[in-house]
Amino acid sequence: MSKLIFRLFFSFLVFVGVFILIQNYLTPSSFGKYGHYRADAIEEAKVITPYFKGEEKCASCHQDIYDLKYSDLHSEVRCESCHPPKITAATECEILPPIIEGSIEFCGQCHAINAGRLKKGVPQLDIEEHEGSQNCIECHNSHAPWELKE
Amino acid sequence: MGTKRIRENRRNFFKSTIALIGGVITYSLIKPIEVFAQAKEEESKEDTSNLPLWGMGVDIESCVGCGKCVEACKIENNVPKEPFYFRTWVEQYTVKNDGEVKIESPNGGIGGLKQSVPSKDIFKSFMVPKLCNHCSEAPCVQACPVGATFISPDGVVLVDESYCIGCSYCIQACPYGARFMNPFTKVADKCTFCYHRITKGLDPACVEVCPTDARIFGDLRDKKSDLVKFLQKNQTQLLKPHLNTHSRVFYHGISSEVK
Repeated sequence: MSKLIFRLFFSFLVFVGVFILIQNYLTPSSFGKYGHYRADAIEEAKVITPYFKGEEKCASCHQDIYDLKYSDLHSEVRCESCHPPKITAATECEILPPIIEGSIEFCGQCHAINAGRLKKGVPQLDIEEHEGSQNCIECHNSHAPWELKE
Repeated sequence: MGTKRIRENRRNFFKSTIALIGGVITYSLIKPIEVFAQAKEEESKEDTSNLPLWGMGVDIESCVGCGKCVEACKIENNVPKEPFYFRTWVEQYTVKNDGEVKIESPNGGIGGLKQSVPSKDIFKSFMVPKLCNHCSEAPCVQACPVGATFISPDGVVLVDESYCIGCSYCIQACPYGARFMNPFTKVADKCTFCYHRITKGLDPACVEVCPTDARIFGDLRDKKSDLVKFLQKNQTQLLKPHLNTHSRVFYHGISSEVK
């Protein structure tokens, strides 16, 4: 074997060796455990704390309101549909209560008249005609919508 | 001397050519046998049939387009508030009497969708919630050059934020437009079915807040789950089925206008 070919062959081997070393160093340890990805990423995706706590958590303090809501037309609407958490994931709702205004625009998100909403069991109102200036909760109990206030 | 050397070289050249061709032919004969050997290895990979297989059903006939799901998704997953970053969004389709289809989704549907077409011109109108379809043959996963997006063993397409290089190939590859580049993390972002919630036994945030139960979430392998019941009761359809993405978001009551 001539010197030239030996050098070429040797440098090729060195190149391959260095490539394998660098690849080993850079590839995360869990890469390829389940497939062509880092298996640890699955665990990392699980560790975030949820913001929305669920109805059971709400009912643990507000059982009376929960029972009232459950007995009326809004029984399928979850607490956090209208009261989304205003606080960070780690804190409790006592710090910044998720109180809503019950304005016409807010209730109108579901109840304003819209051709795409007809025949779906959700009452539709022309919100401009229906006592346009007042907030809905001034007459309606939002937890039991047919229970009108005085 | 000169001519003799050329003749020897020519002989060597023919010899090596024949050896090369022979080598290629033998190799191509051996190759198919090798495939069998690899197939056996793949079978011994970890069994995932005891894990859940997450999926979602969307009932178009129930959705009222209130946009609560979009709002909840943004809160739950810290999605930027600007109106062009959405992990899920609701579109309103309006088919006019003259056959024209109008699709609109102002701010993704947050604050409730409002009909912009006068009611005398409307032939029909319906709402379509959209999200990542969690394909079992995901184009985004194939497009990713570094293996930063993947299908988890329980069937959810996830992004490895620390591994993504932000090349946005996956965003172009997604046929449903469900991905976006997160301006803060500078990596691809998408619906994860709220992976941090479903692994704790909670529903995804959009399912949790839906007032009309238009979104149904569950385990496709659990025959008692809400989703399997929904699929048994209703005729469902996938979005863009001709692309063979085999997605796991099932739409009930969808019409042919939906793209």
